[in-house]
Amino acid sequence: MNLVQIRRPSTSFAMPFRHRQVGGKVLITSTEGNFLLLTPDEFARFAEGDVPDGTPLYTRLAERNFVRAAVDARAMTERLRARRTFLHAGPNLHILVVTLRCNETCVYCHASRADMNATHTDMTKEIADKTIDLVFQSTSPSVTIEFQGGEPLVNFEVVKHVIEAARAKNRAAGKRLEFTMVSNLSLMDEEKLAYLVENKVQICTSIDGPEHLHDKQRKLPGLSAHQKATHWIRRINDAYAAMGLDPTLYHVEALLTTTRETLPRWKDVVDTYVSLGCRALFLRPVDPFGFADRTAPRVEYPRAEYLDFYRSAVDYILELNKQGVEILERFAAIFLTKILGGEDPNFLDIRSPCGAGIGQVAYNYDGKIFTCDEGRMLHEMGDHTFLIGDVQTAKYRELMGHETVRALAIASNLDAQPDCVNCTYQPYCGVCPVHNHKTQGSIFGRMRESSLCAVHKGIQDFLFEKIGGGDKETLEIFQRWTTVRDRTHFLQSCAT
Amino acid sequence: MRVDAATYPLDALYGAAYVFIDRCYVLLDKPDASWRVTLAWKKGEPTADQLRALVGEFANELLSCAWRAKIAEQNRAVIESVTAQALGGAMGPPSLDDLEKFDFSEESFEDPLGIALSWEEKHKKKARADDPHAAPPGDAEKP
Amino acid sequence: MTELRLHRELYTGAALDAALAVYAPHASFERADDAACWVVRITSRSPERERRIAGELGNYALGLTVKGRTR
Repeated sequence: MNLVQIRRPSTSFAMPFRHRQVGGKVLITSTEGNFLLLTPDEFARFAEGDVPDGTPLYTRLAERNFVRAAVDARAMTERLRARRTFLHAGPNLHILVVTLRCNETCVYCHASRADMNATHTDMTKEIADKTIDLVFQSTSPSVTIEFQGGEPLVNFEVVKHVIEAARAKNRAAGKRLEFTMVSNLSLMDEEKLAYLVENKVQICTSIDGPEHLHDKQRKLPGLSAHQKATHWIRRINDAYAAMGLDPTLYHVEALLTTTRETLPRWKDVVDTYVSLGCRALFLRPVDPFGFADRTAPRVEYPRAEYLDFYRSAVDYILELNKQGVEILERFAAIFLTKILGGEDPNFLDIRSPCGAGIGQVAYNYDGKIFTCDEGRMLHEMGDHTFLIGDVQTAKYRELMGHETVRALAIASNLDAQPDCVNCTYQPYCGVCPVHNHKTQGSIFGRMRESSLCAVHKGIQDFLFEKIGGGDKETLEIFQRWTTVRDRTHFLQSCAT
Repeated sequence: MRVDAATYPLDALYGAAYVFIDRCYVLLDKPDASWRVTLAWKKGEPTADQLRALVGEFANELLSCAWRAKIAEQNRAVIESVTAQALGGAMGPPSLDDLEKFDFSEESFEDPLGIALSWEEKHKKKARADDPHAAPPGDAEKP
Repeated sequence: MTELRLHRELYTGAALDAALAVYAPHASFERADDAACWVVRITSRSPERERRIAGELGNYALGLTVKGRTR
């Protein structure tokens, strides 16, 4: 790190700002999330207030609201409001764990899957009905019901029941209703596919990379999990195309859990996703929940190694984009939407406060209710800290006002968090109190020791280095990654 | 370990200690103007490195708690505002059933500036003793 | 016998009493409070068991003391 000498800091020139060295420049960010990348000399002059009005540097600073004498308070307010629009509505994501049964065994499984004969871990229709009653009491005008497991296709009857019942309920509720399913696809068949496509259920799956890596980490007895998944990805994408849907918009989404085996295989992973017609990949690091806790000696890695992997993968993705291949990285897209777009894409794990309870709710197969899926995973590991109710007895307002939900809202507010309160990335970032609780013993955590903070900071450092590099093509690609095209086909009609 | 009680307020000490009671035995003491924290391994014989790591982690948690207390004090308004909006937005307005359960009967409404007084109450003249229609004397007139 | 000394400024008497009620089945306890501290003398089957009970008792009393401050 090169120190910038500030001889006489000014207390009257600049609006409040935070700063960080990124690449060879100094990044400054404001309370409302404006940013500039300055040379060390420019930063020194800014900090000393030695920037005469009318100079190019003054203009750049004033345009971004960094100059106290020229501050546009209305613009500042509007920008702050744009970043927090999610505050005024309740949970939009409702995760229904319809079964814990799963036919695959994944080395990092955080869902605490059960064997295929554990039918007692199937959600019943009665519990599904009570869950739907609660879902539609959310104050959010949009509701996404996400089917998870185990493997949700194992309990397909209840999946269908939920879809029918939710649609019926929505005739009166009139919400923007969508369904998604996270599935390993190995139990898919033509009949299930026809139902899911006809009923506009968005499908998401896991692809860990090329076949031998995927199959090593995701065991499907007697078969190749990779072959099954890729077969059905192509089949589903063909079905969308046959309906006349734009394949650049309508296709199966896939995501990745990065294990130690994945780290040197960044190019193979990206190439696999491109070959499957995926337009996005989410380079998620392994998390400390479920099986990953026990298999950590085998799958875990220092986050510095993950960040090397991330940089290599995204550099390669950018090169592919320059060759006309449309594929983005999801973490980057989330942060860039906030950085370049000034908006919040409402990714529940990266916002302040986080979405625990107030943005998402997880309903287990047995009707128990949790602040989030991570909280549910801890429950399956024997830690019931994030259990907030039961569908048999819970009232919606009591769930939202639950002391655990309140505590998590405060614990994930970056204005209350040491380190985050002064961090340059505060306008764009978020913490996970459940992750803090698991890894550090308290929902507040200590960010300097947090592996999640290291990932968030590392990714943002990388993105700002790229932005500061000034490559026009890269900046255009980044702008494209912030553009969200609505997938209106998946919206459920309220009509009878 | 001994820590300065002026630098680390008692709530910070409690906050840090509470985080560790599932992992080790935590004994707090106050021999003088400092706090003394004794951490003891629950089971087995720890190595010197393990003990050093435990104490180091406790010191980090203590610092974190102390600083968080200061931040909460300084940023109280924005923290409360965001939390209230987040929870209010999620909870939504109360239903009639919720209002029915709400206890309105307890503390009297404090109104030191007389804002809740009607104009008549505020400006009524003193009642004539022989006026059968005069309202009974009420609270003392407020400015 | 193992002696546990809990500073009166840092632990509440009520918290200690509640903790002793929980651990009563596991050892013999004798109170010997002085001006500065709540003092508990613990007698059990072995010094190691006494050490563990003293630790658990101290943690429990600490936990209740902390919880009592937030209510």
